Amino acid sequence: MLGTIGHIFISAAFVASIAALAAYSIAAYRHSESIVKISDWLWRIKGATLLVASGILIYLIMTHQFQYYYVWNYTSLDLEPQYLFSAFYGGQEGSFVLWILCSFVVGLGLIRWTRPPYKAPVMAVMALTQVFLLSMVAGWDIFGAMLGASPFRTIAQEMPNAPFIQANPDFVPADGSGLNDLLKSPWMMIHPPIIFVGFSMMTVPFAFAIASLWTKTYHEWIRPALPWTLSANLFLLTAIFLGGYWAYETLSFGGYWAWDPVENASLVPWLIGTAGIHAMIIQRKSSRAHKAALFLSILAYIAVVYQTFLTRSGVLGAQSVHSFVDLGLYGQLLLFILVMTIMGIGFYLYRYKEIPSPQKESSILSREFMTFTGSMLLLILGLVIIFGTSSPLIGQFFVDNPTPPEISFYNQWSMPIAIIMAIFTVVGQHLFWKKYTWETLAGAMIMPLLLTSVASVISIIAGDVSNISYMIFIFAGWFAVFGNGSILFYLLKRRPKLIGGALNHIGFGVLLLGVIASSVYTEPLLDQRATNYNKRVAAGTVFDEEGFPVTQPIEMFELKIDQPKLVNDRWMVTYEGYNVSDSPRPGQQSYRVKFEPVDGGRSFYMDPVVYPMLTTSSNSNVEWSVDPHVRTGMFEDIYFYVAGSKYVEKENERVAEQSRQMMPVSGSETAEQDSLQTIEIAKGEIIEAGDFSLQFVDFRPATEDQLPENTQVGIRALIKIEHVPSGSAYEVEPLFAVYTENERSFTYSPPLSIDAWDMDLQFTRLLPESESIEISLDGSLEDFEEDWVLVVAETKPFVSVVWLGTFLLMAGFSVSIFRHWSREKKTQDEYEDDEQFS
Amino acid sequence: MNFKLILGVSSIVLFTSLLMYNFGNSIDSYVNFEQATNRSSAHVVGTWDNTRDWGFSRESMRFSFHMKDEDGNVRRVIYPKPKPNNFEQATQLVVIGEMRNDVFFANDMLMKCPSKYNDADEAEFTRAEESI
Repeated sequence: MLGTIGHIFISAAFVASIAALAAYSIAAYRHSESIVKISDWLWRIKGATLLVASGILIYLIMTHQFQYYYVWNYTSLDLEPQYLFSAFYGGQEGSFVLWILCSFVVGLGLIRWTRPPYKAPVMAVMALTQVFLLSMVAGWDIFGAMLGASPFRTIAQEMPNAPFIQANPDFVPADGSGLNDLLKSPWMMIHPPIIFVGFSMMTVPFAFAIASLWTKTYHEWIRPALPWTLSANLFLLTAIFLGGYWAYETLSFGGYWAWDPVENASLVPWLIGTAGIHAMIIQRKSSRAHKAALFLSILAYIAVVYQTFLTRSGVLGAQSVHSFVDLGLYGQLLLFILVMTIMGIGFYLYRYKEIPSPQKESSILSREFMTFTGSMLLLILGLVIIFGTSSPLIGQFFVDNPTPPEISFYNQWSMPIAIIMAIFTVVGQHLFWKKYTWETLAGAMIMPLLLTSVASVISIIAGDVSNISYMIFIFAGWFAVFGNGSILFYLLKRRPKLIGGALNHIGFGVLLLGVIASSVYTEPLLDQRATNYNKRVAAGTVFDEEGFPVTQPIEMFELKIDQPKLVNDRWMVTYEGYNVSDSPRPGQQSYRVKFEPVDGGRSFYMDPVVYPMLTTSSNSNVEWSVDPHVRTGMFEDIYFYVAGSKYVEKENERVAEQSRQMMPVSGSETAEQDSLQTIEIAKGEIIEAGDFSLQFVDFRPATEDQLPENTQVGIRALIKIEHVPSGSAYEVEPLFAVYTENERSFTYSPPLSIDAWDMDLQFTRLLPESESIEISLDGSLEDFEEDWVLVVAETKPFVSVVWLGTFLLMAGFSVSIFRHWSREKKTQDEYEDDEQFS
Repeated sequence: MNFKLILGVSSIVLFTSLLMYNFGNSIDSYVNFEQATNRSSAHVVGTWDNTRDWGFSRESMRFSFHMKDEDGNVRRVIYPKPKPNNFEQATQLVVIGEMRNDVFFANDMLMKCPSKYNDADEAEFTRAEESI
């Protein structure tokens, strides 16, 4: 019932967006203020109806109405409220809704702050994008063809042929299938909203560019568009950062960047958007590059839509770790990208001749030329990445059945481009603020070059860098830091409000240094055995069973409980055990591993977690996921996870055993009884039992409060028990007592557990005549396997520098937004004053 | 002709052809085990042959199993990492690595798993390393 209402509201929003598109277009065509007012209301109605629909969807999720497919597919009864909320945008349909909601809010901002002649055409373009996005979730049945997939469809609508639906059309599942365990993360709550705010804001420069072509006013549009574009970039950058940090910190992707298609999907619009910002800044300052500013603004949004198409239409299905369910939106998404491209690029080409172009070429040593080059380099990098990401489509022209490009493809292209960029940032920033000739420029470069050389030499020696291209890369990074640093210094003294650009370019240099240090100089942590083995593998002296040389090095090592191992000649590493808990994830084990620096520094613990993935596990097979522990440091991070453990192996065996037998046979219990052993042992005696040796050292007194009432005898025995093969030993003091109750005597001998050995120990009898005692041992004494973990760990130097570079970029963008927005606000206020006077 | 125009056009041509060349070299076709024999790196698609011995050896720190490619060739595959946890459920495997002496040494492995609640065609790939 509620679902039907939700569906009606979504449909209403869809209709309202079409009406808003029509109304804004007419308003733009007729230059009518009154029609604009009506259109604004249509926009608000669209937003209000969608808000109601979203509210209903959240309500359905919160109240666990599993007859709805979306609720059933992405949530379950045991999901915490905050994840129930984020499950709202955890699926394909909901994430479209979130995107549209963000665009609605951005649209409200545009309605408030945009002036004629741009307002109506800008909003018309915004409404057009909303029509497309809403069509993805409309769920209209048009002559049997579905237009979009509604989040409100029921299970019966989704799977009409499923046997349980055939049997009972009103079937409501008792529980949902649950949110993917990897998405139960605080990052899930903030990462998607930020990315969609970024995507929505990136629509604004596109809309302004179209409006500019529409109204044939090519100069003014960048003023209101620039703060929006800068904000879009800041949000996308933040989203990229959060995504990278999430992948690194909790998803065990092994790093912060893997050139995954979905990561590229947010990077490319950012690169092209940044290219657009460069072009806009030249246009603002020097009334040049109108064509580039328009073209890049259009292209940035096309990149957003294109990457949406790639990641959501199913074409990348085989290549990405981010799997979006294919909802059959291929056709609609294709239409979306085609309409946006044809409208944007087509309109651009149609007006091409009218767009102003500069009267004379700018010289090479001018800020226009330099900034324009920076813009083109960003565009080229963006295009290269799009090219690689599109391999399932483009690769078909090269080979059949194309695989994704190797990671080296991205690295080989981005590295030289980044080096050229770094050098251009310094020259460009100098020319941006001052006029230079070749001679004076060379003079200004002396100091930065000197510092760069010193820093580079130190880094190359300290890092033992031998690869020539890495040396150039490091040099370029330091050059960007020092060269732009001198600009920052210059501006701080004179015009501190304008430091945004200098901060950004320093941040870029810092980012380059961090990237090269942390990605190229990542080292696996290995024990001595693995280190020696890898040395022999490198020398080609290891052979497998069939006598062929082994070429793959080992990148993990095993730790046995309480047995320290020397790792990388730097730490003594000891596995101290694990504990199982049900919070926050049921059945999770957190392992405790101690690191003691051999050079005497302070020791520390790593606590990686392994947990069963409840949504994808079945009765016969448990899927485990890991939550690595990352120890963040100023100079290096230690990245550490447990890839296997005795506990996990035993659990797998237990589950497999259960599913094989299907019923809990009592046989297993008798087997346990067999493992019970009683041992008589005299004071001072040592007795071997299986792999263990026991020594009864002496009696110990028992304290009053541990004994039952009416105790006649109460005594403890100090027993030393050692696992002979490993040499690990414990001292235990089991209790034995005789007490009377209702005039009958009972013995009391509580078992003591030695968890590490899976063993229970009891002091079961006292034999005073021979000064000996009887001990019962419950556990397997032979072939006993000690607790172990298999560990994968790495050190990554200077990941902190990557984050520092990102933060500097964020700070730089924020300063620029502030500056451009306050200037725009001033013109805004002047305009409003004019309105009042006229 | 304008000198800058010539320079621009020729650098675009150079850039594009370099990109095409490099891209063409860095992608590959999916092949079977027979074809993989002569390659330094190959992507092979197939299914797990669970009738033969398999498992992770804590001694050699390697996971090994037999895989049947799409043309029915069965080869032993060695993967120098722990067994990926959704390995048994995978309906299809992609191994990336090198064929040497009839043994395939995989550096990377992708698994196509039937999504438990969806139809068979709504399957998804996960990278072995990332699904541990």
